[in-house]
Amino acid sequence: MATPTYIALATTTLGATASSVTFSSIPATYRDLVLVVNGGNSGDVLCSFNADTGSNYTYVAANGQSAGAVSFSDTRTGAYMGYLTGTTGLGIMHIMDYSASDKHTTTLSRVASAADSLTGMAAARWANTNVVTSVAVTAATGSFNSGSTFSLFGIEA
Amino acid sequence: MQVIEHIEVGSGGAASILFDNIPQTYTDLYFVASIRTNRGQAIEGMILKPNSSATLPSVRYLLGTGSSVISDTVTSLGAGVANGASSTGSTFANTGVYIPNYTSSSAKSLSVDSVLENNATLGYQNLTAGLWNVTDAITSLLIVGETGGTIQASSSATLYGITAGSDGTTTVS
Repeated sequence: MATPTYIALATTTLGATASSVTFSSIPATYRDLVLVVNGGNSGDVLCSFNADTGSNYTYVAANGQSAGAVSFSDTRTGAYMGYLTGTTGLGIMHIMDYSASDKHTTTLSRVASAADSLTGMAAARWANTNVVTSVAVTAATGSFNSGSTFSLFGIEA
Repeated sequence: MQVIEHIEVGSGGAASILFDNIPQTYTDLYFVASIRTNRGQAIEGMILKPNSSATLPSVRYLLGTGSSVISDTVTSLGAGVANGASSTGSTFANTGVYIPNYTSSSAKSLSVDSVLENNATLGYQNLTAGLWNVTDAITSLLIVGETGGTIQASSSATLYGITAGSDGTTTVS
């Protein structure tokens, strides 16, 4: 049997609304992390690392949406994943080299919110060289809907 | 991520690519595809039919063409793009499609990344959000060209299953 490449680290399904979900005690034994969110909050989703909620995350993003194609950039209090529809949003964030201590952590994200006629991509950077040991997935507005799922995977080099 | 099935299109081509009898034992699905069709243009949109259903995913796409950017909604592009016959020879588009919670009794979301290489100004990079508004579990995935073009020999697709769970160390709250 082939060696699995997505190593399951933790997963949860919300039984009630929640403003954030936090993955902690992440082992530093992988190369990258992949976060998959299915559900949403009808708003932006930000991911902060190691409880750092300062304005230390810059990003650039592009969306296809009803208003047309748009691109934007900003500095936020978490790595920008994108806009997720309330119950059927899909967000996938690759957190690159999270276990390295010689570089800022960078992320690449895709969001699919077809119910709101939106598709998006984003690249973000956490201006910190620390190894990532926790990831807090936060609804920038409102709360994640009950039934939303959050899964974290490790990818070996 | 574990391989469920790999399909290689042989000589003579194929009308479609079908992943059938998908095990219901994983959490998410991910498939990658490398496709070329005989459509008489540089590009063909590929349609994804979960369970060969007549109900197709509704999609919103963002498309870069090499000279412009487009955002629109269609019922094709649920499986990305493919090189057509008038594109550079021996080139095949690359596509990845992620489908979370494919066994759930909720509507299914999907995210598509697809690129088409062509030795000309015209090249496509496609990002698509899809929603299959059907509550059935996905048991098969059918991929066909939007104009019915024949999928050429050497096209291929691989379906993977991804299982969410716990490593016993990482906690979630």
